[in-house]
Amino acid sequence: MELFATLQMTWWLLLGVLLSGLAVMVGMDMGVGTILRYVGRSDIERRVALNVIGPHWDGNQVWFVLGGGAVFAAFPLIYATAFSGFYVVMLLLLWTMIVRPLGFEYRSKLPSPRWRNAWDWALFVSGAVPMVVFGAAFGNLFLGVPFHFEWNLTSFYTGSFLALLNPFAILCGLLSLSLSAMMGALTLMNGAEGALHQRARGLAQVAALVGVALFATGGLWVHALPGYQLVSGPGAGVAQTPLQQTVATITGAWQSRFVARPMLWGVPLLGFAGMLGALLAARAGRSHLGWWLGALAWIGVIGTAGVSLFPFLLPSSSDPSVSLTVWNSSSSRLTLLWMLGFALVFVPLILWYTSWAFWVMRGKVRAGQIARDEHAY
Amino acid sequence: MKTFLYFVLFMFLAAVVILLAAMLGDLGAWYFAWLIGTAMIVLVAAAGAALLDTQEEQAADRSGPAPPRPS
Amino acid sequence: MIDGTVVELSRIQFAATALYHYLFVPLTLGLSFLLAAMETVYVTTGKPIYKQMAQFWGKLFMINFALGVATGLTMEFQFGTNWSFYSSFVGDIFGAPLAIEGLMAFFMESTFVGLMVFGWERLSRGQHLAVTWLVALGSNLSALWILVANSFMQDPQGAHFNPVTLRMELTSFQQLIFSPDAQSKFVHTSIAGYVTGAIFVAGISAWYLLKGRHVELAKRSFRMAALYGVLATVGVITLGDALGFVAAQAQPTKLAAMEGLWKSEPAPMPFNLIAFPDQALQKNAGTVQVPYLLSLLVTHSLDGTVAGLDTLERQAARKVEDGIPAVLALKTLSTNPHDTAALAQFKAHQQDLGYGFLVQRYAPDLEHVTPQQVQQAARDSIPPVAAVFWSFRLMVAFGLLMLAYFVLAVIYTLRNRVQDQRWFLRVAVWMIPIPFLANELGWLTAELGRQPWTVFGVLPTWMSASTHSVGYMVFSLAGFMLLYSIFIAVEMALMVRAIRHGPDESGDGATPPGPRPGLAPRPVPAAPRHPVPEG
Repeated sequence: MELFATLQMTWWLLLGVLLSGLAVMVGMDMGVGTILRYVGRSDIERRVALNVIGPHWDGNQVWFVLGGGAVFAAFPLIYATAFSGFYVVMLLLLWTMIVRPLGFEYRSKLPSPRWRNAWDWALFVSGAVPMVVFGAAFGNLFLGVPFHFEWNLTSFYTGSFLALLNPFAILCGLLSLSLSAMMGALTLMNGAEGALHQRARGLAQVAALVGVALFATGGLWVHALPGYQLVSGPGAGVAQTPLQQTVATITGAWQSRFVARPMLWGVPLLGFAGMLGALLAARAGRSHLGWWLGALAWIGVIGTAGVSLFPFLLPSSSDPSVSLTVWNSSSSRLTLLWMLGFALVFVPLILWYTSWAFWVMRGKVRAGQIARDEHAY
Repeated sequence: MKTFLYFVLFMFLAAVVILLAAMLGDLGAWYFAWLIGTAMIVLVAAAGAALLDTQEEQAADRSGPAPPRPS
Repeated sequence: MIDGTVVELSRIQFAATALYHYLFVPLTLGLSFLLAAMETVYVTTGKPIYKQMAQFWGKLFMINFALGVATGLTMEFQFGTNWSFYSSFVGDIFGAPLAIEGLMAFFMESTFVGLMVFGWERLSRGQHLAVTWLVALGSNLSALWILVANSFMQDPQGAHFNPVTLRMELTSFQQLIFSPDAQSKFVHTSIAGYVTGAIFVAGISAWYLLKGRHVELAKRSFRMAALYGVLATVGVITLGDALGFVAAQAQPTKLAAMEGLWKSEPAPMPFNLIAFPDQALQKNAGTVQVPYLLSLLVTHSLDGTVAGLDTLERQAARKVEDGIPAVLALKTLSTNPHDTAALAQFKAHQQDLGYGFLVQRYAPDLEHVTPQQVQQAARDSIPPVAAVFWSFRLMVAFGLLMLAYFVLAVIYTLRNRVQDQRWFLRVAVWMIPIPFLANELGWLTAELGRQPWTVFGVLPTWMSASTHSVGYMVFSLAGFMLLYSIFIAVEMALMVRAIRHGPDESGDGATPPGPRPGLAPRPVPAAPRHPVPEG
C-alpha cells in the first residue's frame, strides 16, 4: 500500500483509539454522574463519589476535546458535515457537557442542600445525556444520515432533529449509557468503601447485564438493516471528493466484513467477553480487574461498529453516492503525516503522565478527610 | 553510578534545550523571546517578594521589638 | 446560497461565545505563571506564607478555570456545528493545530491541574512546584496552538488550494507555525494574559490592604503582581506594535481600518488620534491628528506609507474580475477533475479565487457579472471601519493606562509604602475590569478587522457558515445566552464569596487534610531548604 492509503488507514485506527479513550475515560466520569443520586444517598456519600474522580475528571475530559480535534484534523469533511447535520443533538451534548465542570467545581462551594441538590441533578443530566447522544450518533451511522453536497462541497442536511432519535439509535444510546454506568460503578468500587461501594457493586452487575442484552439485540437488529457498499470510486490513497463515487445499499452489507474475514468476529466477542468478565469481577469484588475488562468491552463495542461500517464513516441516506468514507474525507497526506508524528510522540507521553497522576492519587477516599480538606469537591 | 546517570540525563536535557533554543531563535524569534521573557518576568516577581521579606526584616530591626512577622 | 440572516446569526453566536470564553482564558494564562512564581518563592525560601498565597490564589484560579474549560468545549465544536463550509474548506490546515493543542497542551494542563489542587499532601514540594509550572506551561501552550490556528485565518501561510479536493491543503507546517502573525500574536496574547492576572491579584490585594485584612499576604501578592505586571505590560505594548507591523504587510485593509485611513496619502503620514469614520461616505467626520506619527508607528520610518482604503478598494475590484474565471473553472473541475482546459484556466487565476467567491454573493452563477456587482464586492472588502478604529483606539488607551498604573504600583511597592496610599489602593480595585475590556477589544480589532473574510483573501465569511435554518440559529443563540448568563452570575457570586472569605489563616495555610488511608503523606522537610539569613 502506498503512503497516503497507509496513513488514511492508520488515522482510521487512531480515531478508534481516541474514541475508545474517550468512551472509557469520559464515560467513567459521566457514569459516576449518572449514578450519583442512586449510589450516594447522603451528601457526604455523594461528595466521596465526586472526590474519587475529582483529581481526574478534567484530564479525562480532554479525551473528548482531543476526539473532536482529531476528527477535525484527520477527517475535516466528517467534522464539518456530521457536526452541522447533528446540530440540535450537538447542542444538547455541548450544553449538558459544559454544565459538568461547573458541577464538580461549584457544587460543594456552598453549604445549602438546595444548591447541592440542584447540582446533583445537573451532574446526572450532564452524565447521562452525552452518553446517550454518543451512542445514538453511532446508531445513526448504521442507518445513514440525510445529507447532500453542492458542487463546491457545501453540505445540506435535510433530516429533522427527531429523526436522529429513532429506535435503533436510542438502543445504541442506551448501550453506551449502560457501559458508562458500569464503568462509573466500577470506578466508585475502586475508590470508595462501605454502603457506597456495595451499591456500586450491585449496579455494576446490573449495568453489565443490560449492556450484554442491548449489544446482542443491536447485533441482531443490524442484520435486518440495509447496509452500504462502495460500488466504484477513485479508491484508497487517491485525492478525491465525495462527488466521484457510486454507493449501493444492500441488506446485510454491514456484515460483509465479518463474512469476508471471520477472524473479525473476535471484535464483537471481545465486547461480550469484556462485559461478562466485568460482571463476574464486580460480583467477586475485584473492581480493578473489572475496570480493565470494562475498558476492553468498550474497545470491543466501538471496534464492532468501526469494522462493520468500514470504509464508511458517515453514510448518506438521501444520496448514498456522496457517503463519506475513510478515502474521501481524510486530510491530505502531509497533514496526516505531521499529525501522526505528533500523535506518536504525545499519546505515549499522555498515557505516561496520566498513569502517574492516577498512581499519585491512588487509594480510597474517606468521608472524614473530605470534611477537613478545603480543596475537596 | 547514580550520580553519573543523573549527569548523563541532565547533559542530555541541556543538549535538547540548547538545540530547541537555537532552533527557536532562528525560526521563531518571538517564540524564543516569549520563553526567555516569561522566565524572566516570573523570576523578577519572585525576587521582588524575597526583597520585600528583607525590607521588612530591616524595618523590624530598626524599630526595635518587632511587630508580628509574616512567617 | 446560504441565507444572509443565518450567516449574521452564526457570526453573532460565534462572537458572543468567543468573547465570553475569552473573559476567562487570559486570567488562566496569567494567573498560572503568577502561581508558579509564588510557589517558587515558597519552595526556595520555605516561608509558609507563600504556600498560603499559592493556595489562596489557586482557589480563585480554579473558579475561573472551570468556566474557561466549560466554554472552551463550545469553541472546539462550533467550527463544525456552525461553520461547516469553513471547516471542510480549511480543515486540512486549521484542524491540525487544534488537535495538537489537545495532544500537547490541554492534556498536560488538565491532568496536572487535578494534581495541583488535590496533590498538596501527596507530592513533595519540588514535585508540586513542577506540577504548577506544568499547568502554567500547558495553558500557555494551549494558547499557542489556538493562535497558530487563528493566525492562519489572518494570514494564510503554508497552504495552497487543491483543485482536485476543492479545498485548501497544507504545504508547509513550518510556515504555518512560524508565520510572523502567529508568533507576534501568540506572544501579545499570552502576555496580555499575564497583565490580566497581575491586575486581578493586585486589585484584590489592594482591597485587602484597604480593609486591613490579610495584610502580609496582600503586601507580598501586590509586590509580585506589580513587578510581574509592569514587565508584562511593556511586553504587550512592544508586541502590539509588532502585530501592527505584521498587519501592514499581510492585511492592509485591517490596518487601514484600524487607523481610519480612507485615502492613501504621501509620507510622512499623520496619525488619527480621534476620528469618526463614516462607512457610507467613506471619510472621517472630524479628526484630531498628530503629524508624522502614523508613518513612524506602522513603518518605523518617516518616509514609509501604507495604502488607504480607496487604493485597496480599487485593487480589490481588479482581483474580483480576476477571480471570476477561477471559480468558473473550479465548477467544471468539480464534476470532471481531469478537464485540462479548466485546470489551466484555474491555474492562471487561482491567486484571486477568494475574490471570485466574494462576488458570488451577488451573482451566484457568475455567468453575467455586472460592473456594479464587481464594485459591490470590492466595497465589501472593506471591514467595518468605525468599529475596528474604536476597538483599537480603546485597547491602546487601556494599555497605556495600565502601563502608567503599574509604574506607579512598582514605585509604591518597592518603597514598601503601598499600604499607605489609600487613593492608589482604591484605583487598583477599580482597575480590575480594565484588562478584561482591553482583551475583548483586542479580539474585536483582530476579528472585525479581518472581515469580510474568515480566511483573509481566501474564503469570505458569507459562504463559510453552515446551512441551518433561521429557527435553529435563534434556538441555539437563545440557549447559549440563557446558559451563559446563569454561569456568569454563579461564577461571579462564588468568586466574590471566596474573595470576601479570604485566605485560610488557620496556622500556616497548609491546613493538612487527612491523607488517603493506605498511603502516608510524603515527609516534607520541616526546615526551609535555603533559609534566608536573618537580619
